[in-house]
Amino acid sequence: MIEIVGLTKSHGARLAVDDAGFTAAPGRVTGFLGPNGAGKSSTLRILLGLDHADSGTALIGGRPYRQLHNPLRTVGSLLDGSGAHRSRTARAHLSWVARSNGIPKARVRAVLEETGLADVAGKRVGTFSLGMGQRLGVAAALLGEPEVLVFDEPVNGLDPDGIRWIRRLLKEYAKAGRTVLISSHLMSEMAETADDLVVISAGRIVARGPLAEVTTGYASLEEAFFALTDPAQSSRDARSRS
Amino acid sequence: MTLGNAIAAELRKLLTLPSALLALALGALSTLGFAAMTASSLRDRLDSGDSSALAYTTTMETGFNLIPMGTIGTVVLGVVIISSEYAANRKDAGGGRQILASLTCVPRRGVLLAAKTIVLILVSGVLGAVTIPATIALSQFLLGAHGNSPSAVVAALGWRAVGGVVYWVLISVIAFAVTVLTRSGIVPLIAFIANLTLVSVTFMLTKLTPLANYLPDVAGAGMVGVFHLTDGMLDPLPGGLVMTAWAAGLLAIAARVFARRDG
Repeated sequence: MIEIVGLTKSHGARLAVDDAGFTAAPGRVTGFLGPNGAGKSSTLRILLGLDHADSGTALIGGRPYRQLHNPLRTVGSLLDGSGAHRSRTARAHLSWVARSNGIPKARVRAVLEETGLADVAGKRVGTFSLGMGQRLGVAAALLGEPEVLVFDEPVNGLDPDGIRWIRRLLKEYAKAGRTVLISSHLMSEMAETADDLVVISAGRIVARGPLAEVTTGYASLEEAFFALTDPAQSSRDARSRS
Repeated sequence: MTLGNAIAAELRKLLTLPSALLALALGALSTLGFAAMTASSLRDRLDSGDSSALAYTTTMETGFNLIPMGTIGTVVLGVVIISSEYAANRKDAGGGRQILASLTCVPRRGVLLAAKTIVLILVSGVLGAVTIPATIALSQFLLGAHGNSPSAVVAALGWRAVGGVVYWVLISVIAFAVTVLTRSGIVPLIAFIANLTLVSVTFMLTKLTPLANYLPDVAGAGMVGVFHLTDGMLDPLPGGLVMTAWAAGLLAIAARVFARRDG
């Protein structure tokens, strides 16, 4: 369970997240949708304890990320690439990540298999393609068999095969009663994968609820998205929908 | 235990980083290599009866006086343990920096920085504790008949060798603390290595003001006693304490900045 309440964050004079609030429930894939620069990554970075919020709270299972004991065993995250140093091998990267949270070494081999990286485990991360880097990031997120997944733009750089793989993975994860929060600016992706939707525009949450509910009254998610995130319309829509 | 896991992870991280392994090799081999060359050439000159051979050195100091060389290794170690966190991956490999992975694994900044500091002290300490006695032993061995007896060597160099290890460790911690602030390793690498091995700006400052004797590397040099000797140079113990205070102070500033900075 992820709960975000009254979250506000400015970068200098620019308000990146403006009083944002939503929840992501267990057993469902929650899609966090918005145009580039709308505040998705800023919100997720605060949720993952990377950045400080100016005000508000972001809790995972009732606790802020920084207070989680061995956080990878609760939350698996993917943010901005694999996070592996380019001169390290994939196996060496996963191996220190596992060690940092007391995760048994056998899990390294298991996630390498699961993400299709077993054959390239001994190669340096600097030689990886975008898709392989993304798979390595997913592998690290799965290491601790967490109850919660938080992925920022997970399909970035993946080929069609990879996209289908990650969709299936996220849906199965949610089906097992776990919480999945994914951000994307790709509407088609969200329409395929998400059960619930949270739409953010210019730092404000403009719509939230089950996918069908958010798109009610619109021909498609795309229509809904542009109606909701158009600056001229968004405030009116947010009022009429909440 | 969280700190225990973080330390184990940082140790694994450092020892699988090629630039850190290079630093270890550089520190050990440059010290041993230059010591071997000077000790051999001194023996040849002594063997041939060259009376000026001992004008500027002694058979005890030879080799040992190359201890400053080894700080190349510990400085690089102190820099790359943190600059590697901020090095961006290739754009077409997804970009991203390791610091995000490190902070999601160990979200408490103080624990992460403490783990890095402890691992750095441990690894540079082991490097010094192995390399420095090996350098002394190798130099005395290569001097052949001109070498000193083991008991005389221990009596003359014992505490200074310990001082050398402490000096290597403290220099690496200072380089680390500065790089936490700069994030990029380039400037600290150039500044530290140039100052420690080429032209010592800090030692030249002692000609201008006696206060320069309290600069970290000048103060700490008293522990080793092989650097340019200056008039107001501190004694080993106060010198070591002044250098330790610098390392601790810079580390405290680094920790404060690191804790407040957004990832």
